[in-house]
Amino acid sequence: MGWAVVASLCLSACASSPKPSPEPALRKQALNAETDGARRYAQGDYAGALRLFSEAQRLQQSLDDVRAAARNRLHQAQAELALGQAALALGHASEVSESSLRVPSLLLQVQAYQALQQWAMAQATLTQLLPFCAADCADLGRLRLLQARTALAQGQAQEALTFVQTAVPLLMEQQEEREVANAWRLRAQAALKLNDAAMALASAESALTIDRKLALPEKIARDWLLIGDIRRHTPSAQAALAYQRALAVAQAAGLADVVQLATEALKGSVP
Amino acid sequence: MSILIEHDSEIEKLQKGTRRFLLFGLLATVLIVMAILVRQGLFRQTATLGFVTESAHDITRGQAVKIAGFRVGAVKSVNFRADGQVEVALVIDADAMRFVTQDAEVELFKEGLVGSAILEIVPGADKTRLAADNAKLKFSRAEGLSAMANSLRDKITPVLNDIKLITGTLADPQQGVPATLAQVRQATASLNTLLQTSNHQVGVVGQSLSRVMGKTEGVMEKTDGLMSNAQARMAQVGQTLEAVNTRLPVLLDKTQDIANHLEKITADAQTSVPPVLRDGGAVAADVREIITGAKSAWPVRMWVDEPAAQKLKSDSDPQAGAVRAAP
Repeated sequence: MGWAVVASLCLSACASSPKPSPEPALRKQALNAETDGARRYAQGDYAGALRLFSEAQRLQQSLDDVRAAARNRLHQAQAELALGQAALALGHASEVSESSLRVPSLLLQVQAYQALQQWAMAQATLTQLLPFCAADCADLGRLRLLQARTALAQGQAQEALTFVQTAVPLLMEQQEEREVANAWRLRAQAALKLNDAAMALASAESALTIDRKLALPEKIARDWLLIGDIRRHTPSAQAALAYQRALAVAQAAGLADVVQLATEALKGSVP
Repeated sequence: MSILIEHDSEIEKLQKGTRRFLLFGLLATVLIVMAILVRQGLFRQTATLGFVTESAHDITRGQAVKIAGFRVGAVKSVNFRADGQVEVALVIDADAMRFVTQDAEVELFKEGLVGSAILEIVPGADKTRLAADNAKLKFSRAEGLSAMANSLRDKITPVLNDIKLITGTLADPQQGVPATLAQVRQATASLNTLLQTSNHQVGVVGQSLSRVMGKTEGVMEKTDGLMSNAQARMAQVGQTLEAVNTRLPVLLDKTQDIANHLEKITADAQTSVPPVLRDGGAVAADVREIITGAKSAWPVRMWVDEPAAQKLKSDSDPQAGAVRAAP
């Protein structure tokens, strides 16, 4: 009898629930792929996200929805960057000519150049980007972060620190926690370049706290590597412990590159 | 003298008139008495019937006896016999005896539910055999109000007992309404758990599929590497074959045979593999359609994101490696 009541409730709920608005099957499939891809990306499954964004882009292109196709192309480039496929990401981001997506496209291109260590191209693209991202630009914080990274790579640590100081409040306001963690990491690196170990250590630990909260194993491991690097410049000399933590995290997460880096750093830290 | 004579004649007339008046009154009185007696049935012919019963309850002397609702007689006597039985004698009109058969039955019932008791002679089925004078008839009592109440009570009591049992069962915390409600709550919770588990498992299946796809990509990459290695090896094999060609021509024939086999296998694969791949694609499309349908069905659609344009969370340093790698 109890099951009969439950079945009746289910049937009445089914009958009373509103029907979804009709959507063409192909467009729905494309939007589904994009939504699933975004969820995969948020979960850190970048390969799955890349495949879904690629499928969504293809479907939207087949529907002649240029803007949606371009949007998915940029998603694809972002997933490729996360997978370390910077050259592919650069190519895909460069394909997007949609005026409304110019800023995110250029930002991804800068990121790709930085990943490819083409700092001059990164700087040139930043220069190209600056007129399109003025004071009211939603991506201004991210832009400042990319400027800081480029400046740091070009040996301008103080300038990088200034860019980071500008970026942090903007990113915090937008609740972009990943970017805030990136900013703290950059600040730590810049402070280390300026021989301010205390500021560097505090910034790196702030980045570590956020990355732990967001459960990002690779970033956690690299934060410990950075902390180890900073500790080598301090009297406490507990760098080895930090490298060991980085090694343990990388091994548990199956991050071969970071394992190699941590192992080498650990060897170098042992007197 | 003449006056006295006239007076005597008048007195004589008065006396005659008085005698005639008294005679007329007496005659009228006798007629009235006769009429009363006739009315009381003193001069009609009667017959006597009787019956024996266990109780004289509701039976009294002079009580009316009816046939088909007409009064035809009365109870003549009610006597208590030595054996404890009660003998009742009825007097009815001799004319009514034509309705009283030998198998007739005297029935005692009440007018209405609470009226006076009446004896009714109910004729039997056999109309040819009439009862004789002083015949003994069967007797029965119709159900009275108390009997009807008792009957009604006998019928209602089991119903009331059933209702009591049902209400008791409904109120029973182990088997009744509380237990049913508890089961409903439990079933609802189980349903929610089932749906959550299904949702989770769909996610797990999706993750597994993506991992499989990732592994497949890895396998493809490894295959590419293997192909490169194979090309290098083939170059080495070419050098080796030159040496072999000079020394063991027979091996070349065998190699040719192997090549022929490989060619045949390849040709077979060209015809068999593409349909398999097409079937796999169709299956994947079906699976995708099923999952898409499930996502849009109630209640799963309440727990999944509505398909829409997405904005990814920005991450300018996804691998956190750019800084450390920088000079």
